[in-house]
Amino acid sequence: MTTIRPFTCEDMLKFNNVNLDPLTETYGLPFYTQYLAHWPEYFQVAESPSGEIMGYIMGKAEGLGENWHGHVTALTVSPDYRRLGIAATLMNILEDVSEKKKAYFVDLFVRVSNKVAINMYKNLGYIVYRTVLEYYSGDPDEDAYDMRKACSRDVEKKSVIPLSHPVRPEEVD
Amino acid sequence: MAVRPQRIQDGVVERRLRPIYDWLDNGNNKKALQEAEKVLKKSPTLQAARALKALALLRLGKTSESHAVLDALVEEKPSDDTTLQAMTISYREVHQLHKVCEIYEAAVKVDPSNEELYSHLFMSYVRVGDHKSQQRAAMALYKFAPKNPYYFWAVMSIVLQAKTADDSTKRGILLSLAQRMVENFITDNKMEAEQEARLYIMILELQEKWDNILKFIEGPLYLQLVPGLTSQACIPYFKRIGEWKRLNLLCKDLLWENQDRWDFYMPYFDSVFQLMTKSGTDNYVDDTPEKCHEFICLIIENVSTDRPLRGPYLARLELWKRLAKDGDPTSLLGSGVALCVQYLRVFANKPCAVPDLKVYLSMLPQKEREDHSKDFLNCLGFDENSEPVNANDIQKHVSCLYAWRLTAPVGSAEENLSIARLLRKHYLRCLEQGLVTSTVTEFCAADNYGTLAAHHFFYAAMEQEDPAPILEALNLLELVLHHSAANFHAKLLLISLYHVLGAAIAADSIYCKLEVKNIQLVSLGWIHAARLAPALASARALRLLSDTCTFHKHHAKDSVEQVTYAYKFGTFEKVVEVWEWGGRIGGCAWCATCGRERALLALLAGPPQPPHAPQRLPQTPTDNRDLNAIVSWSSTDGDRALYKSRSFERDVAYLRLKDGLLSAIVLCIECADNRNAEEKSSQLEELRKCISAFGSALDSCRHVYGERERISVSAPLPSRIIAFVTSPVPYRELYTNTLLMVCEICAGSPSAHTYAEQARSTIVASRTELAAHAQPTLWGNRDAFEFFSNYLEFIGVITFLLGVCNEYLAPAHAKKSKKKTTHSPEQIKTTETLNKLNDDVQTTITILEEIFEKWPTFSYEASLEEELAKLTLTNKYHSPVVQKLKSGFEEVLTDVKNNLKKKAKYLKSLQ
Repeated sequence: MTTIRPFTCEDMLKFNNVNLDPLTETYGLPFYTQYLAHWPEYFQVAESPSGEIMGYIMGKAEGLGENWHGHVTALTVSPDYRRLGIAATLMNILEDVSEKKKAYFVDLFVRVSNKVAINMYKNLGYIVYRTVLEYYSGDPDEDAYDMRKACSRDVEKKSVIPLSHPVRPEEVD
Repeated sequence: MAVRPQRIQDGVVERRLRPIYDWLDNGNNKKALQEAEKVLKKSPTLQAARALKALALLRLGKTSESHAVLDALVEEKPSDDTTLQAMTISYREVHQLHKVCEIYEAAVKVDPSNEELYSHLFMSYVRVGDHKSQQRAAMALYKFAPKNPYYFWAVMSIVLQAKTADDSTKRGILLSLAQRMVENFITDNKMEAEQEARLYIMILELQEKWDNILKFIEGPLYLQLVPGLTSQACIPYFKRIGEWKRLNLLCKDLLWENQDRWDFYMPYFDSVFQLMTKSGTDNYVDDTPEKCHEFICLIIENVSTDRPLRGPYLARLELWKRLAKDGDPTSLLGSGVALCVQYLRVFANKPCAVPDLKVYLSMLPQKEREDHSKDFLNCLGFDENSEPVNANDIQKHVSCLYAWRLTAPVGSAEENLSIARLLRKHYLRCLEQGLVTSTVTEFCAADNYGTLAAHHFFYAAMEQEDPAPILEALNLLELVLHHSAANFHAKLLLISLYHVLGAAIAADSIYCKLEVKNIQLVSLGWIHAARLAPALASARALRLLSDTCTFHKHHAKDSVEQVTYAYKFGTFEKVVEVWEWGGRIGGCAWCATCGRERALLALLAGPPQPPHAPQRLPQTPTDNRDLNAIVSWSSTDGDRALYKSRSFERDVAYLRLKDGLLSAIVLCIECADNRNAEEKSSQLEELRKCISAFGSALDSCRHVYGERERISVSAPLPSRIIAFVTSPVPYRELYTNTLLMVCEICAGSPSAHTYAEQARSTIVASRTELAAHAQPTLWGNRDAFEFFSNYLEFIGVITFLLGVCNEYLAPAHAKKSKKKTTHSPEQIKTTETLNKLNDDVQTTITILEEIFEKWPTFSYEASLEEELAKLTLTNKYHSPVVQKLKSGFEEVLTDVKNNLKKKAKYLKSLQ
């Protein structure tokens, strides 16, 4: 039971029940408004019938040549609305937009410890493309999986041939 | 923000400027200045280096030197981008955005065909909101660089002029001009981006040309530019023109494919209910409740049963709700209770089941709801004593319990207590049986027993006016949090409950775990930051208030920049949205309050420095609180929207009072200089008016906000205005006499003595009230703290003002000089009067110190440890509640006493 609509500035005042989750980062205002101004179609909310924010996705399109791809910057669902398929719905939207933008693939970063999310992405067809060492700062730093799914434009599925070696964050473009 | 522009054309210059940029970007402005001087020694006229020097000077606080450099540069009319951008940053930092327009206006005159300069000129107008000049700049740009974005910048600028036009004729002309401009482009086949199409729709919307919009959406160009479902885009416009049949058919199609999309159900219902009122029937559309119901049932039957979707089930409830508005839905759908129960039966294993149902439960007639509350509890075979043994069943049980509590009649204190104890027992049982399965990042179903129990402990406490059940709730919630570190519901409740007892430091221990930052400082400020000062936790209050002010200041600087991004990326819809958002946060009532609170609180808890004059009060302060953050499980919660607006009105009244007070203090400082009375007469007059306005506002607020409120665990505690204006301490007299005394001393008027005498007698009289509030029970502790926080604020203000008077009458530098100054008899008399007042304040401070010295200690008995001891748990757990409360109260009391000591010492130094 979902309303899918574009994220608006005012949602930032209502997203506490999503963002108070410890794995969800609350960024500075310019971060959100820049995404809104640059890639509004990639920033979508799932809203409950009572008007609560159940979850949202923010993303962007970037890269040159065959590296032109959709990127998931944040995907989060409130603990009260998990296991309803909302994350999958939101990912579908982002993939659709990326298809329309003629992207070669969609990628995302996820903490290696976040088993629930990694499994979900695998179920949605994502593979671990590479490991990014110490991508998340903290105590201690944590590695990230760079997960990918090819879009239809990448006919030969070249974008999803996993790398055999891990990379450093500075090597990630 | 990084200072360095994206590219600098001249390689040599770039190399020489690089170190200056590096230092500026690293925040080392001193080094940046040195480096700039070095470059300027070699090439003293290099404009870019001078502009960077100005920026470094500005950031070092040398404002006038910086302006001198900038002014000299302006005279030279620089036209290279590096210089202009560095100047832009300086002007932005001092909020002189119009100056940026001026330097680029001059630059394009020097270099009239420079695309980059023109686009900066355009953006400079965007920052100041000068839409007309925007239009001119964009058109000039388009003339020599005919690119689509520039053309649409011009169109958007016209739209914004229309939106802000005062009269409708002008608005109409502007909009039809914008429309024509876009249509010319369409005719010439030049439209090429999605956002351009959306801008066109926006223009048509503003003119309410719904048919034109539909024609455009259904045409080939839209399809080409805007990928995705065009049919979906038609929905709002079908509604506008009353095309109910088409809307009905469209939504049915969409729903057939997307059975869970609420944004398709709602317009579908709109169409059904409109068609019902029309005569004649149509076989293809759903124009009766029966057909509508049948459609929903068909969807339910078609959705696979292993994963039922909430959509169609909630749609049935929505149909019930809409039919019940002016009719009886039961003949078609049966009872509302039965429908709600059915929903619960299907979805009880999801945490969202009851949040989904909430709206519909409240539509049931109260009696029916209450009579059947047990149906919700029992619908899956559970009762209040059931002991489910797996996570799925626990979630189901919890959902049933929630729905039961939301529908049951309001219980007595005893009933609430026994339910709370029962729920606690459920939680403890789960703990013992290993059913508390939360991880560091995920909470678990069993946690809900604990949080729901806490709510019921709170209800009982409110009924009995007894803190004991609150202590039970605190102990239980700390236990829940101990096992489920991610559970922010438990954290929010804990913060709220600690504050009910006035235990700010204990609340702070939990607040730190929430990692509230950025915009959350605004939306969640009411939960904690707003309650620190009234709970005497001034040090922490100052920290959080200034964090919030810093956030707000950054926003003010950044927000217009965000609008320029929207132009840069051509997202015209966002131009308006981001602009309005900037205004909304700019006018935030809570941020404005923070500025004033911080200034006033610093007078008590900080060194005796003059407060900064806060930014101007926003004309229409905005409410940005998220009051839904704490979930409410009370059936008597009433109208939240009404509550929100009422509590906001009070907060704004409080803000205005504090603004008046602070403005008066700032004026006192301004008047206490060595100009003669005549020279400062207008300022003195302004001060008198300000004091009188503050006094009468305080009085009128007393009449309006005199009533005490019932508190709720999920809503803000009563606005601070209530304790302030209903206080038995006569703050009007205290503040106005003190301020008028300062005013008349500065005016050299003998009436100062009268005011001083009046202030003295009011202070002496107020001591009785202080004594009367000195020994609260734990239940009354929060009120007592708040009572004293207001008085302490007055102590801070009067101490500071006595310092102002002292400095005015005997400036520190004069005291130091060995030359003896002769005082007039009038001056001597004034000094004597001030000394007497000073004595009185000191005596009052001594009384306050004693009060805080003898502040009662409370007993914090609770039964959780006893209950835990009955369980066979391997890990020993000690509840931190008692320790947190005890040490927290000690901390604030020590802090208050220290502050008072410092004030007394300072006052003594004035004599």
